Amino acid sequence: MSERISRDDLRKRAGEWIAAGKTVAGPVQVKPGMVLYAPLASPEALQLDGWIRPTNSIKEFVFPRHEALYAYRIDGAGITLDDLPAEMPEQIIIGAHPCDAAALPILDKLFNWDPRDDFFNRRREATTVITVACTAHDEQCFCTSVGLSPAAERGSDVLLVDAGDGDYEVRCLTEKGSALFGAAVDSVVHDDSSPAAAEIDAGPKRRFDPEAVAVFAKEHFEDPFWREHALGCVGCGACAYTCPVCHCFDIVDEGNPRGGERARNWDACQFALFTLHSSGHNPRPAQGARQRQRIYHKFFMYPEKFGETLCTGCGNCARNCPVGLGVLPLVSEICHAESV
Amino acid sequence: MQNPYKPDLMEVIGVRQHTVDVKSVRLRFQDAERAKEFDFRVGQFGIFSAFGWGESTFNICSSSTWHDHIEFCFRKVGRVTDALWEAGEGDTLGFRGPYGNGYPMEQWRGKDLIFLGGGIAMPPIRCAIWYALENRADYGDITIVYGARAVGDLVYADELDQWAARPRVRVVRCVDPGGETPDWKGEIGFVPTVFERAQVAAGNAVALVIGPPIMIKNTIPVLERLGAKMSNVYTSLENRMKCGIGKCGRCNAGPVYVCKEGPVFTFENLRDMPMDY
Repeated sequence: MSERISRDDLRKRAGEWIAAGKTVAGPVQVKPGMVLYAPLASPEALQLDGWIRPTNSIKEFVFPRHEALYAYRIDGAGITLDDLPAEMPEQIIIGAHPCDAAALPILDKLFNWDPRDDFFNRRREATTVITVACTAHDEQCFCTSVGLSPAAERGSDVLLVDAGDGDYEVRCLTEKGSALFGAAVDSVVHDDSSPAAAEIDAGPKRRFDPEAVAVFAKEHFEDPFWREHALGCVGCGACAYTCPVCHCFDIVDEGNPRGGERARNWDACQFALFTLHSSGHNPRPAQGARQRQRIYHKFFMYPEKFGETLCTGCGNCARNCPVGLGVLPLVSEICHAESV
Repeated sequence: MQNPYKPDLMEVIGVRQHTVDVKSVRLRFQDAERAKEFDFRVGQFGIFSAFGWGESTFNICSSSTWHDHIEFCFRKVGRVTDALWEAGEGDTLGFRGPYGNGYPMEQWRGKDLIFLGGGIAMPPIRCAIWYALENRADYGDITIVYGARAVGDLVYADELDQWAARPRVRVVRCVDPGGETPDWKGEIGFVPTVFERAQVAAGNAVALVIGPPIMIKNTIPVLERLGAKMSNVYTSLENRMKCGIGKCGRCNAGPVYVCKEGPVFTFENLRDMPMDY
């Protein structure tokens, strides 16, 4: 039998962790209709209910949108490089969804093929993820199409399952997770007979087969499909920025004539400049090629390289797209095109 | 913590201006130990930086047989290259690398070598030419066909003369029609046609073709007509890069990370890859 914890007690724990100097983050209502994963100033800010998905994802706690890589000092012709502090405060993310938590082991693969990227790893190691199983989904959710589910455990240290009376069932999945709750790593195999299972969302119906998408992306590289379906794309990059697994970045110098920092900032394959050569040649000269890249990378290239679909089915890309594009709308069209 | 993004500090020990907007820079590691252990393969690239301005990706255009320095060559086209343009002897630049696969020079032993380049593509060919010349007995006849829009746009023009003076090396220079000067002694025309006119036997040759996409597109059929096998025809892709180490996602060309699996590919490889470069 797993432990239980009430929402109030969870907030109390969060308060203790904050008081102990840990960074505690979770869903916060930042304005009407918008919930974001953000550091909690106080446990009262933790918004555990009343939303389907925050607008952002938890990736920014392991791969920040801006991260200094080292500092440089300029003194005449001489340059000095300084490492920046490598110590990471322990951080706890409360209220992630399974589609957020699963992103972390997927990103581990990229950041650890030769050479290792310890900027990512050090944050990852300092992070404990307390996931809340989903109790609802919307029309953009499709976790079940990419091998996940509303109570998937992948990437989580603790899974909290709504037990129906204001309590969560606490399933500690890793040592890191049990250290937080003082409970043993849960060895119970959960199935439908679990008392909390009734509250778990049934999940979106399985809408597509990712392998069929991979085949389409590979075999229809030059297809007019991409141009036609990208006509509405304004190239804003919101899909990539709110995606739990999109990880492209730029490297820039930020400073003044005496010194500064070399930093990496999030970037997105939807931007025209992303692939522009200095000669003026652009391998992806129009939005169709850029939309294709997003699907191709997620469903064909990343699985080829790392054995993982680069998508957790969270639906953020479509929810945040100003023109109704995103993975699910595009993939639905692909499946439609393929079945005609 | 290992920081793969932190560059080596390099002292500028020489600068050459090749054209109105192309320079090459010679660098030496500030750290003597690092200089001693550093090794690379011709065809590999580096990420070079001017601090305060940023990083840019260039081929290491010196030969790997030269151990006391490395060189890179660039055209002044933007923020970082404007800053590199200002670098003079004694200045400090950053270097990360070497990255990528490089040319399989060992596999090319016993073959004739055909180098076909256009414009600013000479530097990534030059490193292989010098490597072959410094291991002269390993390779057969060497043919170099190099063209630019105009006479003033040819880079490493002085080295073309040095190479032409070597035994069993044929250098064919060309400029686009209208790009010649009154005293121009080279050919007038585009690289593919000039190369075809040169009637080089390509059956036992390895060819390295680097240049603008249109030059490459038109040169490949000529090589096929001359009997070259596409598994023996190489190029170096120029996809934009930021990290150089397979993380930043920018250089993807179809299913490959150009920075890790390239930048050197045969046209047999490229035939199986989608046009994403």
